[in-house]
Amino acid sequence: MRALVIDDSRAMRRIVGSILEDFGYETRQAGDGQQALDVLEEGYLPDLACVDWNMPVMDGLQFVSAVRSNPAYRQVTLMMVTTESETNRIVRALAAGAHEYMIKPFTADAMRDKLALLGLLPVEMCL
Amino acid sequence: MTLTATSFDWVRQLVHKESAIVLQPGKEYLVEARLLPMAQQRGLSGVSELVESVRGRPDAATTRRIVEALTTNETSWFRDGDPFTALTGTVLPALVAARRPEERLNIWSAACSSGQEPYTIAMLVSDALPDAARRVSITATDLSREMVERTRAGRFSQLEVNRGLPASMLVRHFTRAGNEWEISPALRRTVTVAECNLAAPLPRMGPFDVVYLRNVLIYFDLATKQAILRRVAALMRPDGWLFLGGAETTLGVDDNWERVVLGRGSAYRPRKGN
Amino acid sequence: MSAPVQEAITTMVDAATVQSIADDVWTSLVGDGEVLVPLPVPATEVTVSAWVQITGPWCGAVVVTCEEATAVALTECLLRARPPAVIEPEDVDDALGELANVLGGNVKSLLREPSSLGLPQTGPIPPAFRPDDLCRVDAQWRGQSLTIIVQGAIGTPHTERNEVPQ
Repeated sequence: MRALVIDDSRAMRRIVGSILEDFGYETRQAGDGQQALDVLEEGYLPDLACVDWNMPVMDGLQFVSAVRSNPAYRQVTLMMVTTESETNRIVRALAAGAHEYMIKPFTADAMRDKLALLGLLPVEMCL
Repeated sequence: MTLTATSFDWVRQLVHKESAIVLQPGKEYLVEARLLPMAQQRGLSGVSELVESVRGRPDAATTRRIVEALTTNETSWFRDGDPFTALTGTVLPALVAARRPEERLNIWSAACSSGQEPYTIAMLVSDALPDAARRVSITATDLSREMVERTRAGRFSQLEVNRGLPASMLVRHFTRAGNEWEISPALRRTVTVAECNLAAPLPRMGPFDVVYLRNVLIYFDLATKQAILRRVAALMRPDGWLFLGGAETTLGVDDNWERVVLGRGSAYRPRKGN
Repeated sequence: MSAPVQEAITTMVDAATVQSIADDVWTSLVGDGEVLVPLPVPATEVTVSAWVQITGPWCGAVVVTCEEATAVALTECLLRARPPAVIEPEDVDDALGELANVLGGNVKSLLREPSSLGLPQTGPIPPAFRPDDLCRVDAQWRGQSLTIIVQGAIGTPHTERNEVPQ
């Protein structure tokens, strides 16, 4: 399983990345939405992209819209991972095409639960 | 008083026996942090005093709380998935077909903890049946008064709603209340909450079509398990469905149940002729 | 034209709520068993701050302040699973900024909508303008001073480089 972790904080990229690696993921990182789109255009198609909302250059919502408007990226499951936590923000992210939404702060257990919901937890971890 | 080596060892063995989770040496601080509130609630000065009092007079309820305090941060929504997939995929359609439209379907969440299980059921039922509010009633019980009150309040912290609740359901069924999230009044009305000790004679309830009795039996000895299963069976309809925890079974405990495989999980049904 | 005086933050957020947000942040981000104890202790060394601006019906900032050594220790905790060989000053700025960001986002959700969050910044604390438009939690973590302040700015909205499009 492959994941792309998109966050302007490198501490948060490391936190999310290491949790996913503990679940058996191979991860890559990007510091904003544009960098992440560049990674996709290079041909790196992850199973999962964890996307922060507030980032410089291109924010997470724009990234989600861009990915969902490109049929070549249909296999990528998108999960917002952000401190934005008002109901209308979550609704907007889902409407833009995010599959799931995780509110910061979160624990490794919460990440495992979300991956299980998305069917993206490697099978042996489910048992 | 800080945690003694003997107390830590006792907690380690208990947690390992009940949950197969290993507490590494050096995790004394975690035991302190997680159990101190429980000690204080009982008017004890520290965690070692709590451990000493339980060692001297073991009871299933307290050991269960200790194990839970150490092994779970927050209860998950859709915990273990399969018993909920089975509810909407198999159990509800079967019950709707078997009952008259005016008959209520009764579902019991028998160890509801802080409420995630009964409200997960309430959300699924309301999505699956157009007339859910009229058709289904959910009973949620727990041994702990604190958990009963939390379930009744239907309010959950940010960390709790992060635990496996689909975002689409969060925005549909909850509203913000300060920095917490509150279940919608309509769903809360479908859930009746009460205190109930499964290890003692049960109050008059039911009859239930579906019972969720998960991660309870593991804490009791064989005789108590048998007694609980008998009492639960007495409150169930003959064609009802019982869901146990992933590590629990009626096999070798009580022969009056038939195991039915449902998807990746299983349910238990009262055996015919009993 | 004089800017209208904004509603004081204390009508929307109290210290107990900020503390409970911080409790969640500490147990989940800083580490299991880590607690921010709501008892003030004086800072004895030079302090550092990180903050995020909030722009909306209420404008201001959520500021985290602690001693440098505390900020380094917090960074080590955040990066516990994958610590870099050497923790650089940028790592510390980044980690403290992310703490401010997560606290700030959760505080923002208690305010009137629509509000938006700026990107984390570090350096000298922006000035607070009105003593009544301020909510403060003085606490300690591992015995060291740590302060979280939600403070109003002048009533004119900032133009943020990261305004969330509506």
